[in-house]
Amino acid sequence: MDWIFLSELAINGALTGLLYSLFAIGLVLIYKASSVPNLAQGGLTMVGAYVVLALSHDAGLPLWLAIPLAAVIMFGLGFGIERVALRRLAGRPVVMILMLTLGLDIFLRGTTLAIWGGTSRSMELGVSYEPLFMGDIFISRIHLVGAGVAIGLFVAFMLFFRSRTGIKLRAIADDYMASWSVGISVERGVGLSWALASVVAVAAGVIWGEIQGVDQALSLLLLKGLTVAVLGGLDSILGAVVAGIILGIVENVGSDFLDPLVGGGSRELIVAAVLILTVMIRPHGLFGRHDIERV
Amino acid sequence: MQEKVEAQPILSMNSVEVLYDNVMLAIKGVSIQVPKGEMIALLGSNGAGKSTTLKAISGLLKAERGRVSRGEIKFEGTDITEMLAQTRVEMGICHVIEGRRVFEHLTPDENLTAAAPMGMSRSELNVEKEKIYNYFPRLAERRNSLSGYLSGGEQQMLAIGRALVTQPKLLMLDEPSLGLAPFLVAEIFGILQKINQEDGMSVLLVEQNALAALEIVSQGYLIENGRVVMHGTAEALKSNSDIQEFYLGGGEGTDFHNVKHYSRRKRWLS
Ligand SMILES: Nc1ncnc2c1ncn2[C@@H]1O[C@H](COP(=O)(O)OP(=O)(O)OP(=O)(O)O)[C@@H](O)[C@H]1O
Ligand SMILES: [Mg+2]
Repeated sequence: MDWIFLSELAINGALTGLLYSLFAIGLVLIYKASSVPNLAQGGLTMVGAYVVLALSHDAGLPLWLAIPLAAVIMFGLGFGIERVALRRLAGRPVVMILMLTLGLDIFLRGTTLAIWGGTSRSMELGVSYEPLFMGDIFISRIHLVGAGVAIGLFVAFMLFFRSRTGIKLRAIADDYMASWSVGISVERGVGLSWALASVVAVAAGVIWGEIQGVDQALSLLLLKGLTVAVLGGLDSILGAVVAGIILGIVENVGSDFLDPLVGGGSRELIVAAVLILTVMIRPHGLFGRHDIERV
Repeated sequence: MQEKVEAQPILSMNSVEVLYDNVMLAIKGVSIQVPKGEMIALLGSNGAGKSTTLKAISGLLKAERGRVSRGEIKFEGTDITEMLAQTRVEMGICHVIEGRRVFEHLTPDENLTAAAPMGMSRSELNVEKEKIYNYFPRLAERRNSLSGYLSGGEQQMLAIGRALVTQPKLLMLDEPSLGLAPFLVAEIFGILQKINQEDGMSVLLVEQNALAALEIVSQGYLIENGRVVMHGTAEALKSNSDIQEFYLGGGEGTDFHNVKHYSRRKRWLS
């Protein structure tokens, strides 16, 4: 057993996992404020990356300006989605809203395809690809940056959900009718959660765009992001972070063992197994809220 | 009715009709007045239209695809019939909805915070919370546990406390006594009465437990099949034989019980 190699797999797995968390935090934000799993989070992440590219490469702005500006634009887009599409569905069965988010995802993918085409473009963040060595262990710098962003957002949102606005959002997720009855604007709360998730999508889009290029494939991050969110418990930010790390490590270490046996492709199998087993064995995930049953 | 004209009521509802889904007529011309600073009861059996009346006043109808199709509702002289629920809460109307719907995954303390108006400062909120914990000491003890695990009585207290944070001038409660032990009902009603006397908060109380309700209110309305069929002072209602028979559990228990029941019902409805 090569311990150095194993820990390299584990550490890089954990870092990649934190990048899944970065994506999953967006899912959790919306779930925490409206109890709806947002199937369009992949689409939003992809659009976030395209908007940054449009501002930096196409309009010539420097990245340090293009990224915050994209965040502002996406914040507005998130609010707009609530206003135009979701508001009509408030109070309807969750399945309907779920289908709407799926439709939105397809719509966003189609739109980027129409405007920017399907050729992969690079983000060119300028993060060095020089290997970084921690002792004998090789670490990717961009992954380290992304993991740092994920942890930063985690801390920010943990604080946010203890603030008055954050508590109102959690109240909305619990009970729309009761929220209205005490004057909470459910519409604005849901809009805000989409706006914040769209800002998270910019962060995830920039990091993942740098890693795998900017094209429609970015929207497929939804599958791993959803797995992480479900494992963490859908409404838990901490869960998203812990579950991301777990999935990243299991996937990286596990596939190293399994790939020679099954001849490749075991990453997908591991992700699928984690998702299916979580739903079957522990539907509320590691840290998710239980449905309270009163005696 | 004549003796009350000089004081403007805090709430007046005139010939209000409510339609659900554009077809289902749930109340058919209800008129109700709540004089400032008084406690009023709205009584009636299942499906009579009590909750619908409250939702028309608080603006929560929209969430259930209902709307006021006729009549008007005035609060402190302003027509509120078409206003957003949120605006009405800001104006001072708060509706404690049926079924103790607390935010289960929040603590009692967070439940109170969630209801705080956006403009309320942190210190004002703390003062408000302490006031509510004084009214309901049981809540203070459990302020940091999960609200979903509170007992039924505690949840009802929390639902009322949460409404009080919005600093209502008119508090409307939908069957707060449902499923609670009599001593808890007495405790909660006692506190409502106290707040009414100390702060002058007006109260519109929907109840099926007419016996308890008529003890604390000054006037009551009886609503059946979407119409007000009786209105009078609490004393008058308590001594009314129909009310005694159907709502206070009284009645003579004669052989003609069912016959009388039927004919009286018919009289109210005509
Ligand atoms: N959301 C809704 N959609 C359609 N019809 C409704 C709706 N809510 C209530 N109704 C109907 O309106 C009528 C009045 O209902 P409401 O809930 O106001 O009665 P209630 O007096 O509060 O009864 P309860 O004592 O059972 O709570 C009933 O016939 C009911 O079926
Ligand atoms: Mg009712």
